[in-house]
Amino acid sequence: MSIKKLNKDVFKSFVDSMIASDQSVVGVKEKVQAKGNKFAFGPLENADQLRLDYDVTLIPPKKYMLPQTETLLTYEVKGESKQHVDEQKLILVGVHPYDMIAINQMDELFSQDEYDTHYMTRRNNITVIACDVVNASENIFASSMETAVVEKGFDILLTDLGKGKEYVAEAITEKGEALLATAVDATDADDKDIAKRSAIQEANKKDLDKHTLNCKPSELSSLLEQAYEHPVWEEKAKTCFSCGSCNTTCPTCYCFDVQDLVNWNLKDGQRERSWDGCLLKDFANVAGDHNFRKQKESRFRHRLYRKGKYVPTKIGGQVACVGCGRCVGACVPDIANPVAVYNRLLEDIKP
Amino acid sequence: MCDCNSTEKSIYLPELAPITKVAMMNETEMYMHLDHDIGHKPGQFVEVSIAGIGEAPISISSSPTEAGFDMVIRKAGRVTDIMHQMQAGDKLGIRGPFGSGYPIDEMKGKDLVFVCGGIGLVPQRSMINYIMDNRADFGKIAILQGTKEFAQRIYHDELERWAGVDGVQVLETIDVAHDSWNGNVGVVTTLIDKIDGIDLTKAVNLICGPPIMYKFVLMVLQEKEVSHENIFVNLERRMKCGVGKCGHCQMNGQYVCQSGPVYRYSDLANIPEAI
Amino acid sequence: MSKPRVAIFDFACCEGCQLQIVNLEEEILDLIGAVDVVEWREAMSEQSEEYDIAIIEGSITRPEDEERIKDIRSKAKVLIAIGACATTGGLNKLKNNFDDLEEVKKCVYSDASTMPHLETAMTKAVDEVVTVDYKVHGCPIEKAEFGSIIRSLLLGKAPEIPDYPVCVECKKNENVCRWEYGEICLGPIIRAGCGAKCPTASYRCFGCRGYVDDPNVNAAVDVMDKYGLTVDQLKSKMVLFGSKQGPTL
Repeated sequence: MSIKKLNKDVFKSFVDSMIASDQSVVGVKEKVQAKGNKFAFGPLENADQLRLDYDVTLIPPKKYMLPQTETLLTYEVKGESKQHVDEQKLILVGVHPYDMIAINQMDELFSQDEYDTHYMTRRNNITVIACDVVNASENIFASSMETAVVEKGFDILLTDLGKGKEYVAEAITEKGEALLATAVDATDADDKDIAKRSAIQEANKKDLDKHTLNCKPSELSSLLEQAYEHPVWEEKAKTCFSCGSCNTTCPTCYCFDVQDLVNWNLKDGQRERSWDGCLLKDFANVAGDHNFRKQKESRFRHRLYRKGKYVPTKIGGQVACVGCGRCVGACVPDIANPVAVYNRLLEDIKP
Repeated sequence: MCDCNSTEKSIYLPELAPITKVAMMNETEMYMHLDHDIGHKPGQFVEVSIAGIGEAPISISSSPTEAGFDMVIRKAGRVTDIMHQMQAGDKLGIRGPFGSGYPIDEMKGKDLVFVCGGIGLVPQRSMINYIMDNRADFGKIAILQGTKEFAQRIYHDELERWAGVDGVQVLETIDVAHDSWNGNVGVVTTLIDKIDGIDLTKAVNLICGPPIMYKFVLMVLQEKEVSHENIFVNLERRMKCGVGKCGHCQMNGQYVCQSGPVYRYSDLANIPEAI
Repeated sequence: MSKPRVAIFDFACCEGCQLQIVNLEEEILDLIGAVDVVEWREAMSEQSEEYDIAIIEGSITRPEDEERIKDIRSKAKVLIAIGACATTGGLNKLKNNFDDLEEVKKCVYSDASTMPHLETAMTKAVDEVVTVDYKVHGCPIEKAEFGSIIRSLLLGKAPEIPDYPVCVECKKNENVCRWEYGEICLGPIIRAGCGAKCPTASYRCFGCRGYVDDPNVNAAVDVMDKYGLTVDQLKSKMVLFGSKQGPTL
């Protein structure tokens, strides 16, 4: 597969020709009306809108693989159902390594055991152009989580060699190779370019560290093994609003709720799934209003156990916190930071 | 966007099956039979879907040795409310069976004690009738059934039938005394000492009932020094998707819809959210 | 199956929620196709004493209102309260912050305050007087939510009413948190279902939908401190829709 170099103009026309093609193209754009620079993934109308120098997006790109709300079935009320699968093709531009790793984890979770064709069909129709981080966000701790660089899952990886003047683009799949071939004026990247890219990636491995976890991510599981009754859960959850912002902004949260909707004719409708969050009060309710995680602290603990212990057992030990720092910024009472909680545990417990 | 059939079949797509028989068992419980073979094991559950209303996880109440399957429905939410209005001939969407079920093979040759509270008997019946149809494979059987009130009793004909089978003892109690009831009065744990000729420590003990019941039954079995390996519990959670994705039934690291709802009690040692 | 008869009544309110129903536009034809509207002062002249579903807008603020709502309740199989005035008492409960209603009347109406039609009592939400089967929250109600609740009821299914905070919908909308702008946004303790309209339009959440069932009000002290604000400042923001308000289930 090829590694190309694209200067600013070549890159622009590469993006513009993608937009002009019959595929939808979404990428990172500046969020209008926001305080300071805030970014969000959205449909691109031209290459100038694309901001690959972004720090972090408000919510992760998982919204394209697992939409906030999607139709699973269409049906006749009280009758036959038909499955609904979204087959739209999409190019997703500007996925940071930590978000890519989160997507790779979701790919595994939705395909293992029972294959979720709704997620997987959508996923397989998405071409992902990942990009290395240029500007660290306020709360990033990807260095600690070993998610500052990514090696798989994407079709093309872009690295900005400096102020958007030059990009190295590496295709690692057939899909990526075909897409990169449309950048006809791109040149082959030389050893110097690749060395520059490596330097950027090596720096990111160290510098995306606004918070520092005081252990290896692989040690979290054994740390949590001993932390179930630790006072930190109650200390932190005391000010938890159970608002689920940590779930909603998390790139690895994938729990969902399913609801049936009906149209005004009362004859047909659709079954929809939408994002849910284990921090929300009713998440573990069963019939008869019994709630198996009634206490705020037990819900608060559940999320950090899922990230550090429960989900890892399903995906070969990978920790399900990728260090994007979104939950840290999204939490009004400022209790969500996984690093703060894990480090607090490390004060008392040896993993 | 399209509704195509070209892709793989959705794990969320129910299959429509007609209800062949319904009967009210008491004021709140409705019995349903579907002539629809799903190839289940005792202790498993299905997701019942009524398009437009929703889905609910429902225990399978019949043995795989019988054709089709039985369910018992208590009105407890949107789906079960509508199910109570249904009649023979109406159709339900079915997904499943889901869950791990009872490890039947390891129970063979052993004495079995069923401790059931209220509609906890419903899923247990799938195992009990399996035993009845393969009677020679199992040792002595004790079936303990506790019901809050006389009027809430279910499967009484069947309890009588089981009591008549060789090597099977049925002990029943109700919590609140009633004029028409001459049997035991008190909670289900009061029956445990009345079991005849079964060494609880060597038997397999299968518990199913309301959340509050487990604590008390387990306490008594603890006193009797029954090993946790020999106890199975059947837990209720909100198994929403049934396929280990949605997260609603998760207790600690376990997705109940996959590894449960039947658990060996010793496997729950590190699952504080279980009981 | 005959269509359920629906009657819409208003009490103390601005009638903005009924206006939201009128604003359903094309969907109003669907609504009328699905139910028989037998009384609706804002949109038609007919009146009826016979109905299955009563939709109540507004709060109960006078003794005669109590009689009227009890009469409606006795005739309706299902009673739905719509809008903040009906579901929580809403803005109308501002006056409950004063002990002496005579003073309040004088302040509002001056010399006219003794006129008989201005008789007033402490505001009550509808469920403080009669049993309410379902609530459609908001000031005003959300058209889409109203429609989906009505359709659920027509199918015989209890509607799904969110019991989680506005933050869920706000974050999904990819808004920057209003707290980051130094505003006291009530989103974390207020029931969602509005689609986080206000924060999405760059306003803080005013709390019109009432509190979630178990709002963590105790967290407020720590949180206000963190943002360099005081609990009194928070309380002042809660007065508008949150005066003398209990849980909103």
